[in-house]
Amino acid sequence: MTNVNAIYINGLGNLSPQKTTDSSRFLDEVNRVQSNRLACIEPNYRDFISPDILRRMGRLIKMGIASSRICLEDAGCKMPDAIITGTGLGCMEDTEKFLTTMVRNKEELLTPTSFIQSTHNTVSAQIALLLKCHNYNFTYVHRGWSFESALLDAMIQLRNGRASTVLAGGMDELTNGSFEITRRLGHWRTKPADTFDLLKTTARGSIAGEGSAFFLLSSAPGDNTYAVLSGLHTFNRKASPFALPRILNEFLERSGTSPGEIDLAVCGFNGDTSSAGPYKELTGSLNSAGIAAWKHLSGEYMTSSAFALWMSSMIIKNQRVPEAAVIRAPGSGAIKTILIYNHYLDLNHSFILIRKP
Amino acid sequence: MEELINKLKKEVITQLNLEDISVEDINPDSPLFGEGLGLDSIDALELIVLLEKNYGIKIEDPKDGKKIFFSIRTMAEYITEHQKKA
Repeated sequence: MTNVNAIYINGLGNLSPQKTTDSSRFLDEVNRVQSNRLACIEPNYRDFISPDILRRMGRLIKMGIASSRICLEDAGCKMPDAIITGTGLGCMEDTEKFLTTMVRNKEELLTPTSFIQSTHNTVSAQIALLLKCHNYNFTYVHRGWSFESALLDAMIQLRNGRASTVLAGGMDELTNGSFEITRRLGHWRTKPADTFDLLKTTARGSIAGEGSAFFLLSSAPGDNTYAVLSGLHTFNRKASPFALPRILNEFLERSGTSPGEIDLAVCGFNGDTSSAGPYKELTGSLNSAGIAAWKHLSGEYMTSSAFALWMSSMIIKNQRVPEAAVIRAPGSGAIKTILIYNHYLDLNHSFILIRKP
Repeated sequence: MEELINKLKKEVITQLNLEDISVEDINPDSPLFGEGLGLDSIDALELIVLLEKNYGIKIEDPKDGKKIFFSIRTMAEYITEHQKKA
């Protein structure tokens, strides 16, 4: 039976440092690296974009188009009613190119292409141009809750009946420039970390990452429905240890779920001792749930919760937590409800709740 | 002139990121816009910057652009003419 308020995840497309573009495989082979940064495994973009258009596109645009195409194909959707994206930093490669040229040429002789492509909404705009989609198109640039903002807008569009299908995604790219600046801010491990050991070792800093994940959200289930998106909550302040369980309980209550119903908590542990507190606090209050993590597979970036939503949707569909993601195995029963909890620098926090359809 | 034409071909390929096109593929007399290489208005801006940056030539009247950027040869002729004047 179709729930009138339910939002169905009917398609996925994920480009990440893991082999995630093929939905018939689910992290059965993990790309294990020894590094403090992870790069996406990129497809041959000519399979998705014609060469005459491709020549002008920066890397993030190509990543966004490829992952959105995979998602639409997965869902069997040709034309979404809305395209909504979230990105923390946008097209960094083109931004750096444009700014570097500006400095080098003393603000003269600026070429238009990198400027045009450097704007944050270029990805959603290019997707729309290629689809010839004139529908609602929006991009959210809200640091560590950019993807969640896109998701929230998608939920509003669907629940208000303004759209019946929404292509929603989150994407960020890692460039040498952005890595170097955030390295100086102490965001990353000073020594290379092993993918499998990142969460076991205690040190300051995480590993940098990047990715682009899209979701076809719909007000009706499809032949390929992965999960039901049941709730989303964000808050943008430091999470005091006492407040977090209360905020979670209030969110679960609003979503009609009790803590005991959570089969799996997918948490954004990133190997940085300074960011582990809220995750420990949260998982400590969910004693009966299994625990999984994703940032050792995707790296840390502002929209990495999109990777988490992809992984969680795949877990519900496949009824299996990939070995590489398990921190505490869930019970032997069906995985019906997953809570995703992420925070970025303890400033942008989010809960996403999904269920088995 | 032929040397300049070949140099220009290489510069255009690089500036416009024409990945699939080699120097041999470009006929110096074929139109750059519409048919031929099928360039568009954004490419035109890139070519204006290329002329200024690599040859120190600033196009004062945008109307001249159509004639100057008709083909690789017309670009080369314009550069040569401009360099003689300088």
